[in-house]
Amino acid sequence: MNEKYFKTLFGIAGLGLIIGTVGLINFLVYGKSTLALGSYIPWGLWVSLYTFFLGLTAGAFLITILTYVFRIKIFSGIGPLSAFTVVVTIVAEIIIITLDLGHPLRLYRIFITPGFKSMIFWMVFFTVAMLVIYILETYYLLREDLIQWSQDPGIKNRKIYQYLALGRTAYSEEDRLQDQRRVHRLSLLSIPVGLFFYGSNGAVFAVLLNRPIWNSTLTPLLFIISALVSGGALIVLLTFMFKRDDKVIHLLAHTVRFLLVVMLILEFLHFFISYQWDVVYIVTALDLILYGPYWWNFWFIHLLLGSLLPLYLMIVYPDDSRKLAWACFFIVFTFIAFRLNFVIPDQAVYKLEGLDASYFHDRLRTTYVPNLTEWLVSVWVMSLGVLAFLLGTRWLPVIQAGRGEEEHV
Amino acid sequence: MSKDLPAEDPLVRMQRDLKRVLKKNPKEIHWGMVIDIAKCIGCHACTIGCVAENKLPPGVVYRVVLEEETGHYPQVRRRFVPRPCLHCQNPPCTKVCPVTATWKTEQGAVIVDYNRCIGCRYCLVACPYAARTSDFGEWYTADTAELPGKLYGQKAAANGYEAHPAAEYGKKWPERDHGSPVGNARKCHFCLHRLKVGMLPACTTTCIGRATIFGDRTDPESLVYEMIGSPRVFRLKEELGTRPSVYYLM
Repeated sequence: MNEKYFKTLFGIAGLGLIIGTVGLINFLVYGKSTLALGSYIPWGLWVSLYTFFLGLTAGAFLITILTYVFRIKIFSGIGPLSAFTVVVTIVAEIIIITLDLGHPLRLYRIFITPGFKSMIFWMVFFTVAMLVIYILETYYLLREDLIQWSQDPGIKNRKIYQYLALGRTAYSEEDRLQDQRRVHRLSLLSIPVGLFFYGSNGAVFAVLLNRPIWNSTLTPLLFIISALVSGGALIVLLTFMFKRDDKVIHLLAHTVRFLLVVMLILEFLHFFISYQWDVVYIVTALDLILYGPYWWNFWFIHLLLGSLLPLYLMIVYPDDSRKLAWACFFIVFTFIAFRLNFVIPDQAVYKLEGLDASYFHDRLRTTYVPNLTEWLVSVWVMSLGVLAFLLGTRWLPVIQAGRGEEEHV
Repeated sequence: MSKDLPAEDPLVRMQRDLKRVLKKNPKEIHWGMVIDIAKCIGCHACTIGCVAENKLPPGVVYRVVLEEETGHYPQVRRRFVPRPCLHCQNPPCTKVCPVTATWKTEQGAVIVDYNRCIGCRYCLVACPYAARTSDFGEWYTADTAELPGKLYGQKAAANGYEAHPAAEYGKKWPERDHGSPVGNARKCHFCLHRLKVGMLPACTTTCIGRATIFGDRTDPESLVYEMIGSPRVFRLKEELGTRPSVYYLM
């Protein structure tokens, strides 16, 4: 990556981390009372951010499947980068959702007293499974270079790489074949795990009968497709920034373009069908999205900046890698708008007549605006993710390990 | 004296029913409640009685009274519908808990284990009746000199009333800080701690219109059983299949 861009990104993320720390400290010291959430809208910005990070993993997940299961060599250069991206985004996802819990230190209880009927249990289960798979996969993909770096006298802090290489000093052809087999098997395993990972996250919302905007068989599908759009766009952007390969960029961007159209069609159907029901609390929630106080979030940020502008760039400039990268940049950075529009509006409608006049307290209202503490903590987590990613590309052979793959194992 | 007036205060009848029911095998008891909307005057005494009984902090409420205004002038009227936790027989909230911190007891009350709850608030989102609230750790005495810890040597200065949670579920909870029940999902539990010692729930006792009837809904001799048999009876959102244990009389 261009040193100037690296330093700029690093500087921005570093600043974000410092500023975000103020909010984080406020939150950790004074607790949940510093948040703007309430009991009628208990899931807000952080849950939306969780689903945003979830989406970002999908593109990288797809690349590793295509490379290490289906042996599509064209993607092999960005295979290790993709595996590493999955690890970083899942960790960011875990951090933000853990902070959202009332008692984060009790998270271990999910494994001690599991609720098997709960979709959150399965979501956590498959999240941990994906994390373990991808940590192992990334390790095996980087192992050869880690060992080389540990033996290279020109590399500073070789000792760290010696620890990461688990003391190994040599790497034979047999080791390479064995690691490739392991990566292949892990990627194969990641297919069903990944499908359940994305599906269970959608199911968390979809199984709730009293939530008509979420309660649809379309929801898990929309989660998968939207994840592929945002995740695919992220991979295009990362490929452009870290390991430019125009062929890969064009292929991936065209795929993202197709998926974006599919996603918009599904979204349209979701609105169309829901409006057809003409049930007051469903229509109210939809009207909130389209015409409410945050109408600009849908029309301007999600639709115009996040969908139509990228589509225009990808259709009019299909062979211009820079413009394709910009299109994907807009998709990635506006995708939080799509997630917010999914998570919040259904909660923002009273489900019982007369509930609004029953008890007066700020935490018992269906109006919610993320406050400064919530934004600062969000900035902290995003900055941490960006820094971890940037440092990973410098201190780990994530870029260097991407080389031509064997035809088959 | 009018011949239409009841011969006995329903509270006295309910108390008698309760005494009888508590002698039964606990597995044979199934708590239920009937709320007569025609009698409810919207005084919110039940709301406040519950808040006082359970020392609920700001933002946490177990029993609200829905207020609806219907009709066009001059044919307007207001309707009041007290809404505690409906203790559904098919509760959607218990299924979604990832750590089994909430469940339906044998006697039909849906309860929360504060020490197990991780505060994910999935149950809040899942409840069709918005009957659960999350304790965000707020204080009535916030921004006042009464807030514990605000003044140097606070133990002498601060009232400390709200620093000591009520003995919900019959347990002595630690001083209010970051620990449970702060951070937990909280809800109406039919005042189990009062039932245990032979007292009716606070909302039932405090209802000035005697609109709230409580008892064992499967006990043929109880008042609540009689009320459930009324042709005026309905339940909220029956189409969701939750089968609440709280019935309403239109």
